[in-house]
Amino acid sequence: MLKPGDPAPDFDLASASARRAGRTRLGDIRTDLVVLFFYPHDFSFVCPTEVTGFDHALADFKAEQTAVLGASLDSVESHLRWAEELGGIGYPLLADEGGKLARAFGVLDEKEHVALRATFVLDQKRVVAYALASPFNVGRSIAETLRVVRAIRTEHLCPADWEPGVAFGPDKLKF
Amino acid sequence: MQDGVLTTAGVLFGLSGAVSDRKQVILAALASSAAGALSMAAGAYLGTRAEAEVLQGEIERTREQAQERPYIVQEGLLRELAKEGLGREAAYRVVKLLSESPRALLSTAEQKMYGYGGGAMGNAALDGLVMGVAFVVGALVPLVPFFLIPSKDAGLAAALATTALALFTVGYFQGWLAHSEQRWRCGVRFVTIAIGAAVVGYLIGLAISPLGASAG
Repeated sequence: MLKPGDPAPDFDLASASARRAGRTRLGDIRTDLVVLFFYPHDFSFVCPTEVTGFDHALADFKAEQTAVLGASLDSVESHLRWAEELGGIGYPLLADEGGKLARAFGVLDEKEHVALRATFVLDQKRVVAYALASPFNVGRSIAETLRVVRAIRTEHLCPADWEPGVAFGPDKLKF
Repeated sequence: MQDGVLTTAGVLFGLSGAVSDRKQVILAALASSAAGALSMAAGAYLGTRAEAEVLQGEIERTREQAQERPYIVQEGLLRELAKEGLGREAAYRVVKLLSESPRALLSTAEQKMYGYGGGAMGNAALDGLVMGVAFVVGALVPLVPFFLIPSKDAGLAAALATTALALFTVGYFQGWLAHSEQRWRCGVRFVTIAIGAAVVGYLIGLAISPLGASAG
């Protein structure tokens, strides 16, 4: 699994976004940060709480100059039907058929042939700033991901459970 | 039932080889039948009860989950349906339809995830009683003719005949239940195994009879 400091591999994948099929290339995304989250399957009862959770918080991520991308090993047709089932998803769901992207990020479960429930935040240089993997049966916290995005964007030393408005350390201090 | 038949026939033939007194053989066979019936009844009771307790625990956990976090139960059921060959999307839609009735979702999840089919959970007391009674009925098959016929050898021959007939009937009935076209063969297989066990028991009894003589 890639860790903070590792460069993210570039990708150009078919994707479903806003009820339409298209392509998404990492190099074309111009936001400060990118949240890329992997999930095991379309058409599951755990994943939608995350997929829709990120969609509900999309305006907050956009306000932080952060793009959100979801990825699983399902086809783009599956993503389109799945997004429709969920009432529409406003960010791209990447069709990582074959699992090349998940493998590149080190989050492919080869035995089950699914992506782990993993979240990466990529910085402006598309280097991994944050990486987290959850168990298959535990959905991740969208609020925590947003908190981390906000903390990274401060470029300050942020204490545990830091929230916007709480004092933080001096600029560029790493530890 | 065949356990009772086989065990008691084995004791009758084994002891007849080792002990000359017919009454001792009958007493020992009665004691063995009683112990066997109690042992089988207790085993069935404990086994069914343990299985029911484990299953009940799983079901209660599933019901709690279904109330607090229905998606965990939904996902579990989806996986079971997918294992049975349904595509993921189709399985999802089936589970979603079932989810319109929490009761339907729960009962289907219990069946698929834990193999629990409503009233299918065993009754430990009844299982124990049935097992014990069946053992006693089986034990009576070789014991009654041996008890009723005064001659030890003639009694043994009659016990062998009733044992063979009873086992053949059980084997034939089993073949009938399984819709087998070889019901006779099923019956003969039961009889062959039983007679084999009886002969081996008798031979062992003969072999150890000198030990009984020296101990007496």
